Amino acid sequence: MKKLTLILAITAGLAGGGAGPMAGRLSAATAESSRIFTPFFDMTLSENGYLPSKGNLFSGGHINTQVGLLAKVTEKDQVFGLYNFNYGGPGFAPQDTRQFTDRSLTHGFNFEYRRKLGERFRVRPGVSLSMDYTRSGANEAWDQGLYNTESKGFQLAVDYNFDFARNGFLTAQFLTRDIEFPNYTDLFQEFMNAGAASELSGGQQDQRLTQVSLRPNWNKFFGGVTLTTQKYKTQRVVSATGAYANEKQKDTSTALDFGFHHRLWIFELYPVISYTVRDSNQNYMRYKTIGATGLATNPSGDIYFMADNYSFNELAFVAPVDLNLTGKWAVGGAMSVVKRNYDSRLRRDARNNYIPGEKQENTMTTLTGSIRKRINDVALVRLAYSLVVAGSNNKFEQYMPYNYTGNSFGISYQLSY
Amino acid sequence: MKRIILITACLGLLAGPARAGIDWESKGMQIAGEILANPAAFLYEFQQDLEATTPLPPGKRFGFQTGLWGGALPTIGAMPSLSGKYRLHGEGRIAPGLPQLDIMGGYWNSPLAGMAADQSNDIKDAKFNGHYYGFLLSSSVSPRVRTFWGFKKSQLKAKISFAPTANVKLLGTPVRSIDTGFDDEFFVVGLESPKGLDKLWSIQLNYGIDTQTIASKVSWYGKYFELGLNIYPEGVFVVHPVWNFHLNF
Repeated sequence: MKKLTLILAITAGLAGGGAGPMAGRLSAATAESSRIFTPFFDMTLSENGYLPSKGNLFSGGHINTQVGLLAKVTEKDQVFGLYNFNYGGPGFAPQDTRQFTDRSLTHGFNFEYRRKLGERFRVRPGVSLSMDYTRSGANEAWDQGLYNTESKGFQLAVDYNFDFARNGFLTAQFLTRDIEFPNYTDLFQEFMNAGAASELSGGQQDQRLTQVSLRPNWNKFFGGVTLTTQKYKTQRVVSATGAYANEKQKDTSTALDFGFHHRLWIFELYPVISYTVRDSNQNYMRYKTIGATGLATNPSGDIYFMADNYSFNELAFVAPVDLNLTGKWAVGGAMSVVKRNYDSRLRRDARNNYIPGEKQENTMTTLTGSIRKRINDVALVRLAYSLVVAGSNNKFEQYMPYNYTGNSFGISYQLSY
Repeated sequence: MKRIILITACLGLLAGPARAGIDWESKGMQIAGEILANPAAFLYEFQQDLEATTPLPPGKRFGFQTGLWGGALPTIGAMPSLSGKYRLHGEGRIAPGLPQLDIMGGYWNSPLAGMAADQSNDIKDAKFNGHYYGFLLSSSVSPRVRTFWGFKKSQLKAKISFAPTANVKLLGTPVRSIDTGFDDEFFVVGLESPKGLDKLWSIQLNYGIDTQTIASKVSWYGKYFELGLNIYPEGVFVVHPVWNFHLNF
């Protein structure tokens, strides 16, 4: 599932019309009428301390820096180049996504040509290149991360402006990415064919991702539907016999989201709700121990085949509210809930036995309180405290915590032009 | 203020269910392990504290800086430094919109290394120093915002030679000398905005191309002093409070 998070982050990050938080900032890079070149700069920086009920105190930061330049070639033609640096450090994360200590580093390059067609239409073809690095601790080398990727591809977006007065527009976008995992090996395959020649040379997760989205925006309300398909080039599906079948892995994801950013008196609200249906044909062979033998039909057996292990539906909801006490100061509160229900995966008890008839369900709730100070027109600083409550009916937590509470304290800066 | 107190109290109540404890001994072992794994990178964080990587204020031709405090160290004593900046081109001088170009550089040398060699019979010689140089381009994008970007090359050296009579062992192996260092080329990007008369606020990212070292600096500076919060998210001590003295002419 780490792969899913990573890939969705790539696509959201690099797609100008994507659903990610960066998308709104990218669209903010609009040329001033009097200038040929308009720079774009956005940097957010946060550092937090984390104290989970399982595990020890740790710290983690997040840095996102975007530097871009918009060039107005003619009244109708523009070229936009963007470099994006993103670092995600240790932190709490929804279950089945990543471990607390995981960290990632991304360099993304995006070039886009923008052409106005008449009064209401604009087309935006573009190309992108991205390099992602991951590691699970500061003592590992970035270059050798199992989930490192190199991604390249293109996108085509069309904007239709249907309401000039209230900034109403509809964006349709198609994008495709070839994603390579140079270090990813298949431990299961190596284990099944144990021997001197069994080590794979990487690339087992190489895939082509295509995404189609339709996103309306109007009067600071936004939403959309996004369809994503990942076709794996070499990875095949594990069959019930324990061997790989001829069928290659294919994952599809359908996401709906809706949100708005409005002010009501001193209240500033920006909630977002999303619902994702993920369907994967990949299965899972659970080995309790390395030396286990004998495929069992009993879910408590040492080796058990879990069909349709990765399909789920997920509801995510975040509702931040800021109370603007003065022009400079605000206090804020936010509630975030991520709830994932697996279609077929059974929950496990503490001894790694599947429980028949009971599907796995994860929930993570985060309550945040913050104080925000606006330093000037372009900068703000925020102090925040969060309480995280993670719960799951999966009780097997040898590798990843599923049930815990956690506190985090942090400071963040944002500077945007 | 009442509202802030109320919210803080509510948060305190919410914190109750989060049962957690801190294992300081294990945390200390982890920190020691991270320092031993890459001592040069750890030491270089203190060099970054004293590096002057913000552009000269508009209208100034040159400037000097020295570090007073970085992380947990009084750098004025432990790593005395001198940095300089010189403006080669003022913004818009040659052609409208052409950015300001500053060159920068600095050197530091720790007297602690010499003192250790003088006072210990086991240490024959010790050196602990570093330098950096580079350039910055800065461009105003509005009356209140200036972006800057540039390049710097940084180098740090730490060397200890032990006396032949010294019985120094590392994991059972006799050690004659320890020679470590840090050398990388960084790109620098940031944004600066005024907070008042002669007061500026900036945020910047420094990224080491080979070592993939990440540093971000948030700074407030006026005529004489710079106060900063340097964050090394992959570092041993993640947050370094920084205090530097500078003069610009």
